[in-house]
Amino acid sequence: MPPEPPQNGEYLVAAYIITSVILMGYWGALWRRAKKASGK
Amino acid sequence: MTGEAARAAGIVRRGIILSGLGLAGLAGVFVLALGFTPVEARQGLAQKIFYLHVPAAWAALLAFSLVGVASILYLWLKDPRLDRFAAASAEVGVVFSGVMLTTGPIWAKPIWGTWWTWDARLTLTLFVFFLFIGYLALRAAVHDAAERARFSAVVGILGLLLVPFIHLSVYLFRTLHPQPIVLKPSAPSLPPEMLTTLLVSTLVFTVLYAGFVTARYGLSLGDEAREESRDAA
Repeated sequence: MPPEPPQNGEYLVAAYIITSVILMGYWGALWRRAKKASGK
Repeated sequence: MTGEAARAAGIVRRGIILSGLGLAGLAGVFVLALGFTPVEARQGLAQKIFYLHVPAAWAALLAFSLVGVASILYLWLKDPRLDRFAAASAEVGVVFSGVMLTTGPIWAKPIWGTWWTWDARLTLTLFVFFLFIGYLALRAAVHDAAERARFSAVVGILGLLLVPFIHLSVYLFRTLHPQPIVLKPSAPSLPPEMLTTLLVSTLVFTVLYAGFVTARYGLSLGDEAREESRDAA
């Protein structure tokens, strides 16, 4: 029987959350700058 | 709003929409990677970090390469659009480098047993990140537009020179970092399901890059248009 894969899902969750925060954060920053520039 | 400012607002809107679609695509990549891609037997779930880390590295190096190309063309043609594009691409490249430099160590800890090692690939990647932080700081510090464009073009070209070393560093130096599995002379060495997820994620990160750069370019164009109309008033 092949060995079980290592249990390290917490690292996966951390990486996916950090990537989402960075990319959505930058998108949000651009969106806020655009709103400010248009004076709305 | 002047005609130029209205045009800039339209470019920003297109960039925000395109990058919003890219973020929706990123959610799709999460579903594809977590739900439909097999777990690698030796690395476990941590291997799936690769579907974000590698496309982020691709987008960062694409961004920095295009800064260099636009910088060379700027020094030749003196077209301000090239300088504006280079500035946008550098900022977006720093964002993707942030993803690359955080997801890399998070993968390395369970697989290598350490968050970081000072080998050639990792060290060069960190250097290029700092170089483009310096590029952005330089742009913020120089107020004369022509001088700012000329100085930052030189730094952008230096950044471009580092990019091939980063890609080839795994061949040139002894390193812990895995060898390329797609961008290499022979065929990609990945099972088809994993390769599909990686390629879809790479496409999504490329769309995000295009959207971010478009929005950031439009914001710079709008700032310049407002400054010009203030100076003219």
